[in-house]
Amino acid sequence: MIDVQLMGLLNATLQAATLLFIAALGELITEKSGILNLGVEGMISVGAVSGFITAINTESLFLAVIVGVLSASAFSSIHAFVTVVLKQDQTVSGLILTILGLSLSSLIGKPYVGKKLEVKLESLIDIAEPSNIFQVLLSQNLIFYIAILLMIFTAYILKKTMFGRRIEAIGEDLKSADSMGLKIAKTQFIATCVGGAFAGLSGVYLTLSYVPYWTDGMTSGRGWIALALVIFGGWKPYRTAFGALLFGFLEALGPRLQTYGFEMSPYIVKITPYIITILVLVFLTIIKNGNTGAPKNIGIPFFRENR
Amino acid sequence: MNKYILSKKLYRNELATFYSFLIGFLIALAVGSLILFIQEKNPFDVFSLMLKLSIGSVNSLSNSLNKAIPLILAGLGISIINSVKLWNIGAEGQIFMGAIALNFVYINTSINNSQIYILLLLVSGFLGGAFCIFFPAITKVLFGVNEIITTLLTNYIVFGLTIYLINGAWKDPASLNFPAAAYVSESVYLPTVLGKLSSGFLICILFTLIAYYIKDKSVFGYEMRIAGGSELTAIYAGISAKQKAFFAMLIGGGFAGLAGAIELLSQTHRVSTGISQGFGYTAIIVAAITGMRPIGIFLVGCLFGALTIGGSVIQTIGVSSYIAEIIQATTLFGALVAQFFFSYEILKKDEND
Repeated sequence: MIDVQLMGLLNATLQAATLLFIAALGELITEKSGILNLGVEGMISVGAVSGFITAINTESLFLAVIVGVLSASAFSSIHAFVTVVLKQDQTVSGLILTILGLSLSSLIGKPYVGKKLEVKLESLIDIAEPSNIFQVLLSQNLIFYIAILLMIFTAYILKKTMFGRRIEAIGEDLKSADSMGLKIAKTQFIATCVGGAFAGLSGVYLTLSYVPYWTDGMTSGRGWIALALVIFGGWKPYRTAFGALLFGFLEALGPRLQTYGFEMSPYIVKITPYIITILVLVFLTIIKNGNTGAPKNIGIPFFRENR
Repeated sequence: MNKYILSKKLYRNELATFYSFLIGFLIALAVGSLILFIQEKNPFDVFSLMLKLSIGSVNSLSNSLNKAIPLILAGLGISIINSVKLWNIGAEGQIFMGAIALNFVYINTSINNSQIYILLLLVSGFLGGAFCIFFPAITKVLFGVNEIITTLLTNYIVFGLTIYLINGAWKDPASLNFPAAAYVSESVYLPTVLGKLSSGFLICILFTLIAYYIKDKSVFGYEMRIAGGSELTAIYAGISAKQKAFFAMLIGGGFAGLAGAIELLSQTHRVSTGISQGFGYTAIIVAAITGMRPIGIFLVGCLFGALTIGGSVIQTIGVSSYIAEIIQATTLFGALVAQFFFSYEILKKDEND
């Protein structure tokens, strides 16, 4: 009995972690190129609603995932345009991207509130009551495996390929990158849109699998937790994945505390992930003495002075 | 290879922010029209109805200005905090905390003189907002913890706390399906001054002037600007940047808390989830679009208040109220685009260069 409960907890942990991790990984890529995008929450929401609407109307999950990812990516290009091409304030632009994304998805999602999804992202191998870790791992759906591939892929690209080294060079030292002849605007633009696409995938996971319905504000701060995760992970894919597992565990643990014999108000349980996120962030910043490993040029628009 | 180069303009038009706002607003109206058009509604009809029902009569105008109060106060708070180049994304939570603090004091005290009591309650709202940002502020100045994330996450915590209180300790037994705290006594309601216009609007005018004074005229404001501008200059001038940042954040949080207190005493009359409907987020747009200028925040706050009222009344003809939010957000994006053309110019490259 204990085992089934424990496996249930593990399963919920993996699902919550997948959702946070994909969005965080996308933001990591964007931030590596020196662009801060605070619009994660809005992009997840746009991906979630457009994926959900596509799934309801076409009953094709494949199409739903594609539409969700592409629309969030297209949406993030607003941020790319305003900050990379027009060199405006990244904080302002990102914040408004979140506000716009949430209201836009509420607008287009309104007729779909309360509708039931006929198709749902099912686990690859259906195991009713997984009794060991391997069965839990096997019973995840496709996006979970995609997330693992994306993690390995991103870590490899950032560290081992020219493209990744260019992104990092731009994020760390704009002037040198420019004098080396790197295409700064192009790289940053692409990195921002890739971040948007990842957030879209995370959104699709939310509405097609995690909670298969649509309602206003259902992203409930996950985009912001993803932003905290990037800091937690020190801008490194594997560490970010570890952080996502930790945060996912805490999110999964909350509603289960009662079954383990802890008496807690459900309203208080709901806010524990946010409290813990803040505490972890504070703790981490203290032990690293403020030096979190952020790309040095983050938030600074590139402008080549007249020479 | 490139025939054109980008150059920073030496002179920036003094009214650039204002013009950018106008251009942004026009762009937003165009985007709004497009959305309405797709939804098979006549944009002209919808906008004229919005205009009529938001500023067409004394009653609707006072509704609009009442909605402007929290936008302006929270916006002013954000602008004060931005003087030290920090961001407050937690105004939404601070508004709720202001109302919670007010109710806490209201439950535990009793003063017969209602004017003094109202004053005390407003002060407790201010302190509630300041308390709400205390943790993000202290961790920012002591350890450099990212204040954008901590203030934002505080919103969810305070909102959860509100739901906890109105479903538990403060639950009014009479509120069955829509849990809320008990109403405050009518003696502490803020009086109205004109039509439905709450006297909170006068407080709002006063605080706009206070914010203007703090930011632009006071020594503290000057020191805040230096502290936010360059760490080295601040050290050279003997200014403790951390201290300025800390107090700027507390004051800014207090402004938003005051907004929650006024909202409770003039609109909802009790703690409920309706204390703020995203005012703290809209306030970010209001503050950013004006380049953090208090007088501008006051004017744009009034306009956005009218837009919010307009957005809520057009629901009666089957148009989503989110149109108003989308127009507000798009205004800022449009203004950012316009700002570019005021700050940069595209020059033709000299062949000999």
